[in-house]
Amino acid sequence: MQEKVLYAMSALFDTPDAIIQAAESVQKAGYKKFDVNTPYPVHGMDNAMKLKPSTLGYFAFIIGIFGAIMAVAGMGYLTGVDYPNVMGGKPFFALPAFIPITFEVTVLSASVATVVIMIAFFFKLPNNSHPVHNTEYMKNVSDDKFGVLVEAKDAMFDAAKVEDLFRSLGASRIIPIYYDLEDIRTVGNIFRPKFVLFLAIVVFVSAGLTYGVLNRLLFIPPFTWMVYQPRVNAQQKSNMFADGSGMRNPVDGTVARGWMPYRYSGKPDEAGLNLVNPLIPNTHTLDLGKKNFDVYCSPCHGYLAKGDSRLRGQFPNPPTLHSDKVRNWTDGRIYAVITDGQNSMPSYSRLVSPSDRWAVILYIRELQRALNAKQEDLK
Amino acid sequence: MSQQENNIVYTQKNLPSKLLTIGVVILIVGLVLAGASYLIDPVRASFNSLISMMFGLSVGLGILFIIGLEHLTGAVWSVPFRRVAEYLGGILYIVPILAIPVFLNMHGVFSWSDPAVIAKDHVLQGKVPYLNTGFFYIRFALAFIVLWFFFTMFKRNSIKMDSNPSESYVKSSKILSAVMMPFFAIFTTIMAVDWLMSVVPRWFSTIFGVYYFAGSFLAGLGALTLVVIMLNKRGYLAKGLGGDNYYSLGAFMFAITNFWSYIAFSQYMLIWYANLPEETFWFIPRLHTSWVWMTAGLPLIKFIIPYIFILSQPSKKDPKRLTIAAIMIMFGHYYDLFWLVMPAYHKEGFFFSWNELAFPILLIGATITYFAIVTKNKNLIPVNDPKLPQGINFHL
Amino acid sequence: MSVDVLHEPSVIEGRPTFHEINEHITKPTEVRPDRKYMIALAITSSLLALGATCMIITHWYGIGMWGNNNPVGWAFDIVNFVFWIGIGHAGTLISAILFLFRQKWRTGIARFAEGMTIFAVMTAGIFPLMHVGRPWLDGWLFPYPNQNKLWVNFTSPLLWDVFAVSTYFTVSAIFWYMGLVPDFASMRDRATVKFKKVIYSIFSLGWRHSNRHWQHYEMMYLILAGFATPLVLSVHTIVSFDFAVSILPGWHTTIFPPYFVAGAVFSGFAMVQNVLIFVRKIFNFEHIITLDTLEKMNKIMLATGMMVGYAYGMEFFIAWYSGSPMEMFVFVNRAFGNYAWAYWIMVSCNVIFPQFFWSRKIRRTIPLMFIIGVFVNVGMWFERFVIIVSSLSRDFLPSSWAYYTPTFYDIGILLGSFGLFFTLVLLFIKTLPVVSIAEVKAVIHGSQPTHKGGNH
Repeated sequence: MQEKVLYAMSALFDTPDAIIQAAESVQKAGYKKFDVNTPYPVHGMDNAMKLKPSTLGYFAFIIGIFGAIMAVAGMGYLTGVDYPNVMGGKPFFALPAFIPITFEVTVLSASVATVVIMIAFFFKLPNNSHPVHNTEYMKNVSDDKFGVLVEAKDAMFDAAKVEDLFRSLGASRIIPIYYDLEDIRTVGNIFRPKFVLFLAIVVFVSAGLTYGVLNRLLFIPPFTWMVYQPRVNAQQKSNMFADGSGMRNPVDGTVARGWMPYRYSGKPDEAGLNLVNPLIPNTHTLDLGKKNFDVYCSPCHGYLAKGDSRLRGQFPNPPTLHSDKVRNWTDGRIYAVITDGQNSMPSYSRLVSPSDRWAVILYIRELQRALNAKQEDLK
Repeated sequence: MSQQENNIVYTQKNLPSKLLTIGVVILIVGLVLAGASYLIDPVRASFNSLISMMFGLSVGLGILFIIGLEHLTGAVWSVPFRRVAEYLGGILYIVPILAIPVFLNMHGVFSWSDPAVIAKDHVLQGKVPYLNTGFFYIRFALAFIVLWFFFTMFKRNSIKMDSNPSESYVKSSKILSAVMMPFFAIFTTIMAVDWLMSVVPRWFSTIFGVYYFAGSFLAGLGALTLVVIMLNKRGYLAKGLGGDNYYSLGAFMFAITNFWSYIAFSQYMLIWYANLPEETFWFIPRLHTSWVWMTAGLPLIKFIIPYIFILSQPSKKDPKRLTIAAIMIMFGHYYDLFWLVMPAYHKEGFFFSWNELAFPILLIGATITYFAIVTKNKNLIPVNDPKLPQGINFHL
Repeated sequence: MSVDVLHEPSVIEGRPTFHEINEHITKPTEVRPDRKYMIALAITSSLLALGATCMIITHWYGIGMWGNNNPVGWAFDIVNFVFWIGIGHAGTLISAILFLFRQKWRTGIARFAEGMTIFAVMTAGIFPLMHVGRPWLDGWLFPYPNQNKLWVNFTSPLLWDVFAVSTYFTVSAIFWYMGLVPDFASMRDRATVKFKKVIYSIFSLGWRHSNRHWQHYEMMYLILAGFATPLVLSVHTIVSFDFAVSILPGWHTTIFPPYFVAGAVFSGFAMVQNVLIFVRKIFNFEHIITLDTLEKMNKIMLATGMMVGYAYGMEFFIAWYSGSPMEMFVFVNRAFGNYAWAYWIMVSCNVIFPQFFWSRKIRRTIPLMFIIGVFVNVGMWFERFVIIVSSLSRDFLPSSWAYYTPTFYDIGILLGSFGLFFTLVLLFIKTLPVVSIAEVKAVIHGSQPTHKGGNH
């Protein structure tokens, strides 16, 4: 049988005054690895044990500041850069509205970090295999006694001397504390089956939960089925109506919003006399005109309106728009051609809106002037 | 008068006679400057006088509240400082004088007092039952009478205890403090509404009374801390004071700094967020003219700097840092009041000159003079207060 | 009236030894529950069952089961949320703020009050989660990189609530647990059954009562108290922002933040007082939860009640002073309109009844203070009801004005919330030490060394 290994000599005292005195004496005797265990914090013990002031506050402060910065930066990025969205007419970076969350994040991060740092790094807890557990000593200091212990690892440790010191201080009991042999054997061995199993369970459960929550519970399949709805789509057949067509024509006399009747249909000369271009040439209207010209007019008339069709004879080539005749036409006359069509040119009134037609005319005028520039234009 | 069970080491000493001289000199300088500034521009001087009055009232209210709180909660840490508070709180007797320039220029300062303005303003017409000159004077008189009454009673009880250590005084002060609290709340609010909010008569904010109270508590604490530390350092108070007594002062300053910021932020944020024209117009000159720099400085001076300055535990005990913090807090409160009031006088932008210094100098001079006179041949601690020994040996 | 000015009333009556404290506090957890306990548990769990049934039905059919209508879109759900959050505040106030003020009388009730905080926040949290209508998607309340690449709206006070309440819950739970650690260690060393010992060992983290630990522990406690204090103010402040950032008359008023906090503390203390009166009787804690402690709580109720009264008055005054016709209408409507009955219940319970606490006799008579405490809770519940429902039912659009009446499910869920809260409280009493053993030991007479000599 293996011999017991001494962890520490300990002594129990009955009053808070006695333990303060004991702590002072043990400290003065030069022991470094000693500890005082009391059922509650005894005032003045830090001083008696000569403990340095706790540095926990600095950690709380630093992590709190860090949390605050992260919160402001995070919110600023998410609402200002990643997905800017106007909310209630407030700026993207709405600092007053960020302050509540910043405060909460600061408090949360600082409090959690303080506790975690204290337990894990300051206390090195949880530790249920410490030698003092399950001893008479522990049972007493947990209840109503005040204990002091000097560890055997201390450089000056000598069991007999420590015992004498305790006795001279008036200890009511002196108890040697031994290591638990089981614990000594397993200390530092993290590959114990129980522990590995525990870790595995933690990993599986947390991974499973994360997956389940994010990809099952909170995930909504994209709305790809939106097109499949019990309704009649455009161009579909429907037996509901006598003509079998799903689409319905508007009631006779229906007028679209903003629609104005064209009064000069078939009367191009009258249109030429009466219609005036409501637009003035500027970059915006000319751009609009060019866009529409290039889309609707240029296939036949050519990009420069020279009548050079890109349709390779599928349609008869239209005349050039740079002829004197067209150049001397009023804007209204050209408008009538676009609206009604002429010869083999069809009406464009359905494709090009009235204002776009006027813009096209402005563009045509621009082309006419550019290709027939006078001397003074070149200056 | 030696107490039997305790070891209070206190000898009554007079403050140096120099103090009175200094006070009188500052007072005269202040008077001259104030007079000159009044002659140059009476309305501007009245505005400055109003700010100084509200600042002095803040200090008085804050100190009155601290005294009341001590009696009410039975706190012991502040007992050794109470007598200083009771003399310093006498500033309440002085400040109504500063209202005189305002009374002489009512139309200039309070536009609601001008019938011509009222006649044109439909909203102000509705407020006439409250905002009219007669009722205004009555409220002003009532507020000071009530505050003086409670303050004088506290002081009387406390001074009587010096010669007659009877617990009946403690009891009566305790009851008095409980009775005072509702009156204190009402009259603090009335003063804040009348003298600060109604400078811009159309504006309103329900939190305003609390806002002024928070600032007053701060100013009172700042003044008390400053005076107590200066006196204690030179040994005019009992031996052994400091440490945890100072810590409590510091902790209170820290807490109330936070409280003020909380109130100020709430008021600003709610108005900013809801964005109602009847409320936001008050902030417009403060945010869209050169006042904006003063607005930006407010959280810095009244919150961030004092906050960092007295955040750590040792700094709450260090007399030097506490002194600086107290001065900073008092300056911050003056700054706050200036910011509250002055944009009403000059919407176009920030301005500052010697005119603005005249009335603060006057107030400081008057306070020092008053303090030097009333403390002559008097105890500076409540020598026979039954809680005094506990207060001096106070440990957290 | 006798006031002993030199000694604040002892926190613990009599002079129990440390061992007796251990015995006494852990006793409820070590003996079998008696008949009284079982009856109480039966009542509360029946209420809980009723509430759970109503909630399940609500989830199944949707929140159309409630009486909410247009324009009263927020009703019992939000009223209950604000009410329960408010109840929680007293706990943190007792455990953190009174700790910072070094009020020793808090020791007897701190643990209990902290526990109540956690249960109240849990109860409160259920309501907004239900209120959103599809509770299984509540995860969307948190910002996470989701499938739609959308973020939550950080400028919305409703989101601030999510952060505030979850932070509040977490920090309160940590605070509570850290207070329990030394007591778990004491219970571990008392435990005789192996099973209990293992449980307590796990939860005590292997605490050794070492003074090298106590030093940091006390620091941590101070830091957490320092954080919890502004946190508790912020939580109800943010709850008040839910209303005050809007432009609805009766909701938008700048005094809401401090007013809500005072109201929360007010109702919280009333609730703690009510529950403590039972606990000290049933478990014989009369000398730890003393009459002095209850009296102090009553004084705080008196003070906070007057703060709430101040806010009522100020709201009315400024509503008139503002000159805004909408504001004026809403407040006249509150007092004399369709919900006048609720308003006058609120005023009488919150402002008038607490005035009886001016009398020392009433402050120290248990049945009377209990009744006033109940009134305060009723009054504070109605305060939220008045603010939310009466303002909404008379909004800007007279054509949509409507009267709100709760349905059976609304009331069932309200009762169920009380059931949940009290069930949790009862279970807590039976399983954990309701009074902090270490803290009580530290404040009883003779527990601290006499600082002889030594001028600090």
